[in-house]
Amino acid sequence: MNEPNPIRTIAFEDHFGLAPEDLRRTLALALESGGDFAEIFLEYRAYNFVLMEDDIVKETAESISLGMGIRVISGEKTGFGYANDLSPEKIRRAAQAAAAIAHAARPVPAIDLRTATPTHDFYPVGEPCHRLPLDPKIALVKEAYGACQAFDPSILKVKAGIQDSIQFVTVANSEGLLASDARPMAKLTCTAIAEKGPVREHGYAGGGGRIGLEYFRSVLGPEEIGREAAREAVALLDAREAPAGEMPVVLSAGHAGVLIHEAVGHLLEADFNRKKTSIFHDKFGKKVGSPLITIYDDPTIPSFRGSYNIDDEGTPPRKTLLIEKGVIRGLLQDRLSAGLMKMPLTGHGRRQDYSDIPIPRMANTYIAPGESGRENILRSVKKGFYADRFQGGQVEDSGKFTFSVSSGFLIEDGRLTAPVKQATLIGSNIDILNKIEMVGADLAWSLQTGTCSKEGQDVPVMDGCPTMKIARMTVGGRS
Amino acid sequence: MSASGSASDLRALAERLVAYGKSRGADEIEVGVGESDEFSVDVRLGEIESLVEAGSRSVGFRVIKDGKTASASSSDLAPETLERLVRNAVQRAELGSRDSFAGLPESSPARIDPEGLALYDPEVQTLDSLIKIDLALEAERIALADKRITNSFGAGFGTHEVRSVLASSNGFSGEFRKTYCSLSLGLQAGETDDRVEDFWFTSETHFGDLETPEQVARKAVERTVRQLHPRKIKTQKVPVVFEPLMTSSLLGFLFGCVAGTSIYQKASFLAGRLGEAIGNERITVVDDGLLPGRLGTSPFDAEGVPSQRTVVVDKGVLKSYLLNTYAARKLGLKTTGNSDGGGVSPNNFYLEPGPHAPEEIIRSCAKGLLLIRTLGHGLNPVTGDISRGAFGLWIENGEIAYPVSEITISGNLGEMLRNVEMVGNDLEFRGAVCGPTVKIAEMTVAGE
Repeated sequence: MNEPNPIRTIAFEDHFGLAPEDLRRTLALALESGGDFAEIFLEYRAYNFVLMEDDIVKETAESISLGMGIRVISGEKTGFGYANDLSPEKIRRAAQAAAAIAHAARPVPAIDLRTATPTHDFYPVGEPCHRLPLDPKIALVKEAYGACQAFDPSILKVKAGIQDSIQFVTVANSEGLLASDARPMAKLTCTAIAEKGPVREHGYAGGGGRIGLEYFRSVLGPEEIGREAAREAVALLDAREAPAGEMPVVLSAGHAGVLIHEAVGHLLEADFNRKKTSIFHDKFGKKVGSPLITIYDDPTIPSFRGSYNIDDEGTPPRKTLLIEKGVIRGLLQDRLSAGLMKMPLTGHGRRQDYSDIPIPRMANTYIAPGESGRENILRSVKKGFYADRFQGGQVEDSGKFTFSVSSGFLIEDGRLTAPVKQATLIGSNIDILNKIEMVGADLAWSLQTGTCSKEGQDVPVMDGCPTMKIARMTVGGRS
Repeated sequence: MSASGSASDLRALAERLVAYGKSRGADEIEVGVGESDEFSVDVRLGEIESLVEAGSRSVGFRVIKDGKTASASSSDLAPETLERLVRNAVQRAELGSRDSFAGLPESSPARIDPEGLALYDPEVQTLDSLIKIDLALEAERIALADKRITNSFGAGFGTHEVRSVLASSNGFSGEFRKTYCSLSLGLQAGETDDRVEDFWFTSETHFGDLETPEQVARKAVERTVRQLHPRKIKTQKVPVVFEPLMTSSLLGFLFGCVAGTSIYQKASFLAGRLGEAIGNERITVVDDGLLPGRLGTSPFDAEGVPSQRTVVVDKGVLKSYLLNTYAARKLGLKTTGNSDGGGVSPNNFYLEPGPHAPEEIIRSCAKGLLLIRTLGHGLNPVTGDISRGAFGLWIENGEIAYPVSEITISGNLGEMLRNVEMVGNDLEFRGAVCGPTVKIAEMTVAGE
């Protein structure tokens, strides 16, 4: 970017009515009972929403979220208080609530706050959505809606919406860090319901990221989103029941990234390893999967939904190698776990908002491309299941994970044949990682609309992968 | 920490914003204000892991002008911010489309006295923090004394006091207070690559109704260790017995399928089926917002409509959807008081218990699966299709034989409701959505 990003020029003082001196004093107060570390997280978020259904613009909404969270770390313990009234008295009470975790008052060292301004900017935004009037956003929603409805006579219902937000955050801590970020986000989504006789099916598509509104004219258009939602719903009308039992499974490029998110990403978040609940906790440097598998998490990919200039603890993020040729090489760290495990920060400390304690989270997680061609991968399967589109997944610390396929195909004699509907795939992560037999060269990404939930906190994420073949996996269909 | 300012200040704020909206040209306006005080402690391996104490407030409102709706919310309660948001909303409504179904509910004189609903327990707020911390520590300590438990996800104790205020231009103005408290514990058993996990919890509006730390610990241990050393099974069709928490999750899916917002969008397989038999005579499902002291109880919904008892399914026949004012008008029906502000939510939504003890239900299966946990999503309200990862106990000759894992169950909610063979007598109101043990005659269980 040649020009400084226009959304980053506002000083945090203007959003929160607080000067660095106020923050310094509050940090000192938070450490009065003797904590090792204190931190203030300030957030101001403005959000806009337009919804179209039943052929009309049904609702518009605007939302403002303002607040601060104060954290004190004492050994392995965390004290936390938050407030959404930034009056001196409420700030003092939040600081005292956080301070209550420590019980060994000692003199508080002087805190010298130094502003750290990141030199990078991962949000190449032309027209910041939050500064635009509603009309061009409504126009995009109408185009997506219209394209979806016009796709096929079987389309019964359409719903389209656009959401955009700007989140200003400022982090100050007792080590002297003072860092701010202004994070834009937008997404345009469309759902379709198609009907044929007694059968009704559902389709979904969307796009966005940390982008300006121009994205929907230059990268992914509203008609494309509307048509894709319709296409999925219509295709499912003729789909048959998914098969049940163990069989070879081929995962589509991009959408199947959810497998890596669930099977690997979560269990390499540092907190689960520090607490030794993750099945990976004693396998650092050890082989846990096929040598075809190399996995990264990279919060620095421009425009991506999971990207950020600083994490929610003020740390500039790093592209982090998690698995190299099947061997565990890294963890996703936040301050608490990195400090206790004596490992470097990676910039993966994230929180849903000011009322949450930061924890290690994924950002943009993906499998590096391999060498197989997609056609060769398909040709290698005599009878199997092709998982095309997904609804999400879940994992537990033991490594058991599932992900839900919303549509797929049967593979017969190396070719995609009948379309099939909803099925759940289940496996145990180390077992499945070892059964990955082929990895394609065609790395692609999931929709820029995904959200990950952990401990009640939702954060935006992305994941990606090339086409992959798993030798055998349990497919939970009905036939 | 108790929030400063009395609830009546919040009510005055809501009423002032209603008047402001009217003066700025809104035909109708409805303002909700919430205030919440939260305490939570997480402990793990005998030490406090985190302690959170905070109070917060928020405002949400919608305005209607010329049949066009705009809404807004804010956690910044500065008067100038709120007034700007009201002015923006009145202006923004112009950009929407006229919708003849939009608008607030008809004004009604009916009021339910919050006092009679037993939603507020003063002890929740006055309880000493050290006692709360000790309850969590004690639950975990009892569990860890069992040698089969090899790690802990920790125990948590939390309390919440919420004040809800609603005022609208149709003349409604009301408020109520509600308390919540909960104790939970998560455990791991087994070694290295053969681990299993589970949890247990108790959650109530009244502190005195919580299960003891010992009860929570014993249940969490039993639920965890019973899964140790699972086997895989072949793909087959068998009877599946749902434990109460699993029935609750199924009921949550059913709620999504009877929610009026899904019905008018035709996003539910139950759209257009009012009056039809959608299940067999063993199925009676009720939504009741008036049960005293329950987690889903309240005197009025987010539109100020008095809570009520709604029979949703009566002996298999679909009697009512669950509606807010908008969905009701779209469908030509009457609201059931289930508005949550944006869409509809359950009050206390439950499957009525049947005559059978859970042991008797297990004994009735020559072969089958006792479903104890699921993993993943895989619910499609448009078709009613269900496909989820599952953990269970295999039943042989009416007895629990061994645990099974890495399986999936799949079926269709419509078919399942017709194939319920037995309903248990063990309904507990552990959440706002709940049900007893249930036996489904046959589902596909996929394994090897």
